[in-house]
Amino acid sequence: METLIAIICFVVTVALYFVVKRLYKRFHVWWLSPLFAVPVVLVAGVLLTHVSYSTYFSETRWLSWLLGPATVAFAVPIYEQRALIRKHWFPLTAGVLVGMPVAMLSSVWLARLLGLSDLLQKSLAPRSISTPFAMAAAPSFGAEANLTAVFVVITGVCGMLIGELMISLLPLRSRLAKGALFGAAAHGAGTAKANEIGAEEGVVASLTMMFGGLATVLAAPMVGHLL
Amino acid sequence: MTTASSPAIKQWLVMPSQVALLCVVWLAASHVSQKLIPAVPAGVIGMALTLGALAMGWLPLNWCRRGARWLLAEMLLFFIPAVVAVVNYSDLMLDAGWKIMVVIVLSTALVMTATSLAVDACYKLEIVVRRRFRHLHSEA
Repeated sequence: METLIAIICFVVTVALYFVVKRLYKRFHVWWLSPLFAVPVVLVAGVLLTHVSYSTYFSETRWLSWLLGPATVAFAVPIYEQRALIRKHWFPLTAGVLVGMPVAMLSSVWLARLLGLSDLLQKSLAPRSISTPFAMAAAPSFGAEANLTAVFVVITGVCGMLIGELMISLLPLRSRLAKGALFGAAAHGAGTAKANEIGAEEGVVASLTMMFGGLATVLAAPMVGHLL
Repeated sequence: MTTASSPAIKQWLVMPSQVALLCVVWLAASHVSQKLIPAVPAGVIGMALTLGALAMGWLPLNWCRRGARWLLAEMLLFFIPAVVAVVNYSDLMLDAGWKIMVVIVLSTALVMTATSLAVDACYKLEIVVRRRFRHLHSEA
């Protein structure tokens, strides 16, 4: 019975994702974005049917597992865009070196200002980088990896929703800056949104996200000491 | 991959077999990460290996391009099970949820502002430097 429920959860998750994705492509309203609408429906479903999260996750973990190969897959666009990286290495590096410290410090300080617990402050620190990187960085910060994963995804949804508003408010000239905005602040979800705006924005977003994730993971042991 | 008899079946198998190849790289990389260099996450190792193999010409681009494109295009699906985990933290979310949302929204806006302004400024600098460099070259 447990296994059957778990398999149903898997099928429903995948089917819902493809249906919502198609609807989003057609109607383009923010609340139909797959990373928002699908979890809302699933959380409601799980709560209403009293299915435990461990049952839900026992088969859907294969989907989470695919985030690993997806990280490896980033090698392909990076290789294909090597000319762009060589040409714009300076602004791209600047984006990562400015974005990552701002993300970590502002999360921790704002959380401290609002009186959130020590564990929450630390678990919020790596929230702006892609899940596999954030999970890798979490222990160095003294964070709870599962909480961090939830914050990462909330950040992604939030970044998708406010990104276009920020672009319209900021005096930005280059496609490079618009892409980096999404990549640094909202990882994979932001990259998907940047891809909707334009191909170059999408590539820059994925590069900023990759290098931002790398930089954060490598700097995490040091930063964890300072926090 | 090139010896399949029916071209339709061949086309159908290209993408899944390329995804499988990337999964194998990921498994190998997690093994290396666990056994040899625990400080570096498996994703970083796997990506570095793939990038190196592509650059050295050991791995032809069209052996992994379509698989990679699919994995990246459907990445939002892979995030979803982790979001549903909020049900495990319902007490925390009811208690401190609004504060967490304030932190995430404000911090996201700050990161967007700082990053994009820095990139734009450096991009302008890059153009100026490149123009001056070209100018010097043409004078010399």
